[in-house]
Amino acid sequence: MNALMTRPESRKKIALQGIAFIMVGAAFIFLWNDLKKTATAHIQTSSVSRISGTLPSLLSDLNLILPISLMAVLFGVACAFYLEEWLPATSWVRRFIESPVDFLIEIPSLLYGLLAITIFFNYAGIFKEIGTPPLQNVNESGLDVIPFQRNTTIFYAEALIFILMVTPVALKTTQEALRSVATPIRESAYVLGANQWQVLAKQVVPLAFPRILSGACRAMSRAFAAAALLIGIHISDHTTGPRGIPDRFMLFLGGALLLSTISSFLKESRLETSPTVTARHDSL
Amino acid sequence: MNYSIETENLSLWYGDFQALIDVNVKITDGQITSLIGPSGCGKTTLLRCFNRVNERYGNVTTKGKIEILGKNIYDADVSLPELRKAVGMVFQRPNPLPISVYENILFGLRIHSPVRNITRTESDQIVEEALTSVFLWKDLKDKLKVRATSLQLEQQQKLCIARLLPLKPKIILMDEPCSALDTKGTLAVEELMEALAGTYTFLIVTHNMAQARRVSKECIYMFLGELIEHRETQALFETPEHPKTADYVQMRYG
Repeated sequence: MNALMTRPESRKKIALQGIAFIMVGAAFIFLWNDLKKTATAHIQTSSVSRISGTLPSLLSDLNLILPISLMAVLFGVACAFYLEEWLPATSWVRRFIESPVDFLIEIPSLLYGLLAITIFFNYAGIFKEIGTPPLQNVNESGLDVIPFQRNTTIFYAEALIFILMVTPVALKTTQEALRSVATPIRESAYVLGANQWQVLAKQVVPLAFPRILSGACRAMSRAFAAAALLIGIHISDHTTGPRGIPDRFMLFLGGALLLSTISSFLKESRLETSPTVTARHDSL
Repeated sequence: MNYSIETENLSLWYGDFQALIDVNVKITDGQITSLIGPSGCGKTTLLRCFNRVNERYGNVTTKGKIEILGKNIYDADVSLPELRKAVGMVFQRPNPLPISVYENILFGLRIHSPVRNITRTESDQIVEEALTSVFLWKDLKDKLKVRATSLQLEQQQKLCIARLLPLKPKIILMDEPCSALDTKGTLAVEELMEALAGTYTFLIVTHNMAQARRVSKECIYMFLGELIEHRETQALFETPEHPKTADYVQMRYG
């Protein structure tokens, strides 16, 4: 293990990731300052312009996506563990769930946005409050400039859509990851007398963890990719905010993205050359 | 003569398919018995009955009686962990846990005695004993912290045997333990089995008839779920009683 950690490329990778992390942090600090400045400016001038900037919507989406998709991912992973590890192989529930899950995964995220509009807007009628002019309660406090204030019904609608969108991906990838641990390998712990929890903790999860993690990342990225669609849904929810996106925020975020991409390439090249991993593939 | 495993009219179904038909077998204590026969004849299934890992597939029905060390293992009061402690198993492909060599050997002990703390000196001694008895100590004493999955296949397979030993099993089941190994590895594992026979009862499934002849005292021939012949190895190979056995061992079939 120690020998691996001191490989030059992995040291480079850690350094790059560290820098990326710091830059993301810096980006958010700058963003927060910019937001505060804008808010203060609004209070001082007490004039509200009806400009629908991207930033408020983007931020309110982040505010929504992060907790919801984290929950949805955890839910999906938990479901996959139940389906794969606890349900008997012959159970009808497995077969019943399989095809709807595949179906939900294959739907492009754009359609989820349309689904959100169609179902929740037209039929359920829970977006009625959108029509009310948001200007009335802005002037006194000026708080509405901070985009985290949400219309709660929209929040629930979006949350539902996100769960529908993220959970199947997390579920499927986790299922695949668990299946990738072959039966004879699992049984090596069973025949020593381990119970199900011990086999999971000591054998299956350590082997499947990288795949579960990358599946979770895929599920989250699906949620982020759909954020732009949701801007369209609740565009009338936020009518005020800073003009455009603060330059520094974008600069730092972009830099961080670039660095993390480079570091992920480094990681892959290390995987290819590492003797440990090839030996493990061999033993599988 | 003591028997460590006795079965009485053992039948087993996977769903509708009957994989074992009225198997009656007595495995002698403290020696190597080999199971031979064509693929799909129920050798592995029979082997997997003895530590009840077959049950992990949902659609298995077992009827009959299996007595291991004088106790029917399908009784309600049998604890699976205890059974599997007494009956170890080695697989076709070496499958050590993805942790260090040291922890692999202690894994069995740790799951059976989670409360008892094993002191450092005790555990060192256990690991050394287990590795010495599988002839790995010399090669691995400086590699105890290495991930077990990164060893050579032969060493991995020996390690899989070694990690059973701290649990002090009575019976070791082996499901084609050498099919993933080269000649040298096969020879090493066979030597190891011969050295350990006496202390443990070995039951080995093999497709390699030369191997069955080399290592085992007694030999069982199975065909399509039925036990055809069970005799001393040399007798079974040289003067088979049943025509089906004769066909197989003289390579006219299978």
